[in-house]
Amino acid sequence: MTHHAELLSSAGQALLSRRRFLSSSATALGSIALTNLLGLDGLLAEGGHIGGDGPVIDSARPYAPRLGHFAGKAKNVVVIFCAGAVSQLETWDYKPELIKWDGKPLPNGPAVTFQGPAGNLARPQYEFRPRGRTGKMVSDLIPHLAGLTDDIAFVHSLTSKSNTHGPAENFLSTGFVLDGFPSLGSWVTYALGSESQELPSYVAIPDPRGVPQNGSNNWGPGFLPAAFQGTTLSSKNPVRHLTAPGVSSDADHAGRSLLQRMNARHLEANPGDSKLAARIASYELAARMQLSVPGIGDLGTEPAHILRMYGADDTGNPDKAAFAKNCILARRLIEKGVRFVQLFNGAYASGGKLNWDGHSALKEQYDVHAEILDQPAAALIRDLRARGLLEDTLVVWCTEFGRMPFFQKGAKGRDHNPDGFTCWLTGAGVKPGVSHGVTDELGQKAVQDIHPLYDFNATILHLLGLDHERLTFEHNGIQRRLTNVEGNVIRQVVA
Amino acid sequence: MPVRLPPSVTFRCQPVLLSVFLWMAGLAWAAEAGTVDFVRDVRPIFQNHCYECHGEKKQKGGLRLDIGPEALKGGSRHGPDILPGKAGESRLIHLVTAAGADEEERMPPDGEGLSPAQIGILTTWINEGAVWPGDAVRLKDKRDHWSFKPLAANPAPPAMPATPPPTGPGGPSSSVPVSIDTFIEASLRQKGLAFSPPADRTAWLRRVTFDLTGLPPIPEDVADFVKDTQPGAMERVVERLLASPRYGERQAQHWLDVVRYADTHGFEVNTERPNAWPYRDYVIDAFNAGTPYDRFIREQIVGDTLGKDAATGFLVTASVLLPGQIGQDEPSKRLARQDALDEIVNNIGQTFLGLSIGCARCHDHKFDPVTARDYYAMQAFVAGVEYEDRELRTPEAEAARRKAEAAKLQLARISRELTRFIPLAGGGAGRPMINARENVDRFAPVKARRLRFTIRATNNLEPCLDELEVLSVAGANVALARAGAVVSASGSTEVADRHSLKFLNDGEYGNARSWMGNETGKGRVTVEFAQEESIDRVLWGRDRQEQFTDRLALDYLIEVADASGEWKAVADAEDRRRFDPKDEKPWVFTTGGLGAEEAAEAGRLIREKEPLEATLRAAAIAQQVFAGIFRKPDEIHLLNRGDPEQPGEEVPPAVPAALGDLVLARDTPERQRRQALAGWIASPENPLTARVMVNRLWQGHFGTGLVQTPSDFGNNGMPPTHPALLDWLAGEFIRSGWSVKHMHRLMVLSRTYGQSGPGSSLGSPAAAVDAEARLLWCFPSRRLEAEAIRDSMLAINGLLNLKMHGPGYDLFNQRGGLSGFNPVETFTGDGLRRMIYAHKVRRETEAVFGAFDCPDAGQSTAARRASTTPIQALNLFNSRFTLEQSEAFAARIIREAGGDISRQVTRAWQLALSRAPTGAELEDASTVVSRHGLALLCRALFNSNEFLFPP
Repeated sequence: MTHHAELLSSAGQALLSRRRFLSSSATALGSIALTNLLGLDGLLAEGGHIGGDGPVIDSARPYAPRLGHFAGKAKNVVVIFCAGAVSQLETWDYKPELIKWDGKPLPNGPAVTFQGPAGNLARPQYEFRPRGRTGKMVSDLIPHLAGLTDDIAFVHSLTSKSNTHGPAENFLSTGFVLDGFPSLGSWVTYALGSESQELPSYVAIPDPRGVPQNGSNNWGPGFLPAAFQGTTLSSKNPVRHLTAPGVSSDADHAGRSLLQRMNARHLEANPGDSKLAARIASYELAARMQLSVPGIGDLGTEPAHILRMYGADDTGNPDKAAFAKNCILARRLIEKGVRFVQLFNGAYASGGKLNWDGHSALKEQYDVHAEILDQPAAALIRDLRARGLLEDTLVVWCTEFGRMPFFQKGAKGRDHNPDGFTCWLTGAGVKPGVSHGVTDELGQKAVQDIHPLYDFNATILHLLGLDHERLTFEHNGIQRRLTNVEGNVIRQVVA
Repeated sequence: MPVRLPPSVTFRCQPVLLSVFLWMAGLAWAAEAGTVDFVRDVRPIFQNHCYECHGEKKQKGGLRLDIGPEALKGGSRHGPDILPGKAGESRLIHLVTAAGADEEERMPPDGEGLSPAQIGILTTWINEGAVWPGDAVRLKDKRDHWSFKPLAANPAPPAMPATPPPTGPGGPSSSVPVSIDTFIEASLRQKGLAFSPPADRTAWLRRVTFDLTGLPPIPEDVADFVKDTQPGAMERVVERLLASPRYGERQAQHWLDVVRYADTHGFEVNTERPNAWPYRDYVIDAFNAGTPYDRFIREQIVGDTLGKDAATGFLVTASVLLPGQIGQDEPSKRLARQDALDEIVNNIGQTFLGLSIGCARCHDHKFDPVTARDYYAMQAFVAGVEYEDRELRTPEAEAARRKAEAAKLQLARISRELTRFIPLAGGGAGRPMINARENVDRFAPVKARRLRFTIRATNNLEPCLDELEVLSVAGANVALARAGAVVSASGSTEVADRHSLKFLNDGEYGNARSWMGNETGKGRVTVEFAQEESIDRVLWGRDRQEQFTDRLALDYLIEVADASGEWKAVADAEDRRRFDPKDEKPWVFTTGGLGAEEAAEAGRLIREKEPLEATLRAAAIAQQVFAGIFRKPDEIHLLNRGDPEQPGEEVPPAVPAALGDLVLARDTPERQRRQALAGWIASPENPLTARVMVNRLWQGHFGTGLVQTPSDFGNNGMPPTHPALLDWLAGEFIRSGWSVKHMHRLMVLSRTYGQSGPGSSLGSPAAAVDAEARLLWCFPSRRLEAEAIRDSMLAINGLLNLKMHGPGYDLFNQRGGLSGFNPVETFTGDGLRRMIYAHKVRRETEAVFGAFDCPDAGQSTAARRASTTPIQALNLFNSRFTLEQSEAFAARIIREAGGDISRQVTRAWQLALSRAPTGAELEDASTVVSRHGLALLCRALFNSNEFLFPP
């Protein structure tokens, strides 16, 4: 070796050490050298930190953990995304006045809403009762989650920019109603990388009954690098292409090492091209994923009492059991350091049969949906807490908009309502036992501390140590943000 | 200690008292410290308390207080905030003193507010005339920007003779223009840098072939080029590549990225947009034909007037909400229309002008001279465009349409005739399985006034019928609404433009014109005919268009009632073969079980059908195009904060005032609006049009544009690295008659392009100065794009299907809905065409290659990222696609090289990498092949960096 290492830039030196690794690893695939490539030998601390406007990303290790703009309480996130628009009036937003108005028309109410003519006001379809120390009124629809209210910060006064599921799910997930913008999870992993180098940094877990209404745009990277796309994984469906079908492990290994030698020779001949080393590293990362991913989905190691706590052993309700398994999977991912897990409850449009879109027979359908959601989701939060994971994990419960205080004409369900609905936060950095924001006495519109969903997303980023105004990415001449040019952190829900 | 104003003192209720107070405070302060000085006294107050929201970064309410003229102009929602000489009437003073009932308004909103002394300073300053010294910063004139100025007349590099390129045998001949190199070399020398040595000839050939066609050179091309030592060899290669249809396919991909083309509608349903592809084909053909770029622009905006009907697909490439997805309330409709128009304006602005005009939808553009008014004036040009299919108006399409009409009638007649030979219901002979497309129940002729169809079980959910036809013995469909029949149902689910009871007998097929019941697994429909009829057949289906197989009636009963009203069963599902969901074969009429005479007659009818069906298929392809329809334009109003519920004045069509003076009258007809806009864009006088396009072409060859932000040439974009070169290229583009191919020639035949890559630059001084090679001291190599990887794998293994044009092949065998998009894993036939011919599902990228930064067609992709991820590695190494293509590659090698392993390895290297293996490579690979087979080597080659990074 005749290079004068001291004359090289640090990038050049790193490359040189990679070359040494590669030329020696033709015979011995060494974990030391891999560590070197991945920067795991103590270099992670300097794995990069977020710059003025966006993170500096080393293309050889896009998932290296990065520091935020400031120290955030939360490191990881679980989002429980209830697709189809959960009625605030049947869950978290107690409106006793509505009971009095049951069956009467809403004075000066709209004649036509999203799906058609409006009918009469309808009382909450479930009884409410005080819960926990705070006495928060929550309905009997979700008794398990209701038991957690002392730790939850509710925002009752959210608004959306669209009353249509697709654009509204876009708005919730990406901050824009149009297609093609990066999702929250993509922004977060773009900013912070991941604590795990063996698992995808961002995992989306669709509902066992099917994909959500807005499909993959809820976890798409938009114009961010593809590295930050959510990977779908569930207790039912594994990650694609983990192994080559019909290839023996011997042959597979031989192919991999042949490829590695070919790439090493090519790098040897082209040492000045840094992109080559990054691609070699990606194959090493892939090999690690191949080892780690199958284990993560294997719930066989979970003890019976855990399965029972989540309801994963409920043979009478396979949808609930499958969702419960997804919840356990979410916990296991968080345990392994996955940065962002998006857990869907509710599937595609189906007249409210498979998600929370209760237009026509709300009570009948919500009885079914709540049974699937309630116990597993509550168990997930309790389990995270029991394992100490809630110390640095933020749990978000959200839905794209709310529902009207009146039924639709000739139906027993409520139409779309983007003007006042509830989502909540719990876990790391969240002020427990808070109810922030108010809708009018019938629960139709937010009237106090009104927060467009921009504010909710800004708050999530804030809890992760990210300033939503400085987390940006240049796209076609615009420094894009999750919150467009809007957004204020909702300080009242931050501990 | 700060003293707050007493809550009762407010501007509104006690103006006199407040004025006096302020006057006194100002006076007191002035007496203390002499007269107010803006820089010393006033600006620090603004800096410390106001700039955060009203400074360089943010201008809440449109107000900025860091620049004099802007501050004096005031915010956007009301008049000036500062009235020189009149502090008491100035809104600024009102806001900093607001208290009591007005406290919500107080500025600054956080903390204690300004101290009385500070308020005093501001008051005095305003009363003294609000002097803002001239030396304070002025706002940069947004129009004073390089790209808005005319092209330089004679752009020249810093005076310096270029070293002539080496002209040995086979090198560039003396007629090759050297101008690009003159500019590049001059800027290199300024930095003390120089060109890298030329790439070797094979490397150059590989590079230029990938760049121009998206495919590798075949070994014969390599051999020919190496042999061709005559002058002009490189030119001959370039001409061959530019003449290849593969060239248009490659360049069209870049264009479709920018205009975010897809074959689905986007948003939640993301349903098929089945007639979008004629626009994709138009773009491919336009590049291949060498359509001048100015004409290319005009065709995409007003192709309906230029004999290029499919070209206006450009206007409607975006995602759009279909009527059934838009709320029925009026505000929802207005917002959806605004979003749809916004996408058109964005597309035009970004694609042709490199301007983010859409930024001005809610407020004046922050950086560029585009006001909100300009934005809505741009909307007015396209305010008559709707996102819809229209009939292609080409002579070929017209002829096909006439033929199709005739064929359709004949087919209907034959199909009905054929039903005469179907086994009778309950006749003892087994009947075929129910299928989702169409079922026929034939029975002995019976008199009927009414017929009812009772569904007793479905395969899932509520039942759905797309059409119920009842044939009289004469063969007429007497159930049609137009024939006077009336339908009723036990219950119906009504979904706008999809499911309705009236669609049961409207004569239209398909899910989008179907009846759906409102009970799971059951339902009943009844038809009452105009008069009593003698009938003998019922035809029914779930979806004749074969998109849906759910909601299918599995158990049913057909009954008729004559004038007496007695119901009598005529057919049911009892004697049908048991339903098997796995049996996906469409039911085909067969002559099995018929007598000889009947079989002959039926056979004749079946043969008669075939050519008619082919005619229909051809016509369907030629008939429709998703290229927008044009109607009377909407009135366009300036919308406050972009809100359709807050319309302001009406705005006529006009280009941004800072960029041109084209303004049309309010009543200008639709077509003339688009013509005027196209003319303004496609003009040599437009400073942006040519610059933006030559920059895109440059990016296509060098990876990065001279302007690194290809769709933003505005103030917030990157300045060009080589401004004179950009202007020279733009000028050359216009002088050449807007010839795109001419620009390709200039670029790929330049010495700049012919340099070696960064591979050998480790430790070079140039790498230290300019690691990314923006100055082009070497050729900046880059990874192949997703489509080029897939296409090249198929080209290398010999399976690439070069069929051009027409509807795309499916990447997914399950489209949308609950199951999402389930990828096809094994491709044959059309599935082996180039990826540009795949049916592009918006937001859902291909399962193997999507991870290679394939755009999702949500927003415009002006430049692809080339990220590196482990998911890419998993996909490319383990997917069934790679394994199958590796097997095919191995089979090809064995066919061509025989059984000798070293010949096999050599052939593999030549096909995949355009070179022979070295001794070490040959040895290594041969060992692996002998143990594990040739396909394993092929799989490794497809994954190798050398394959993925052309030199």
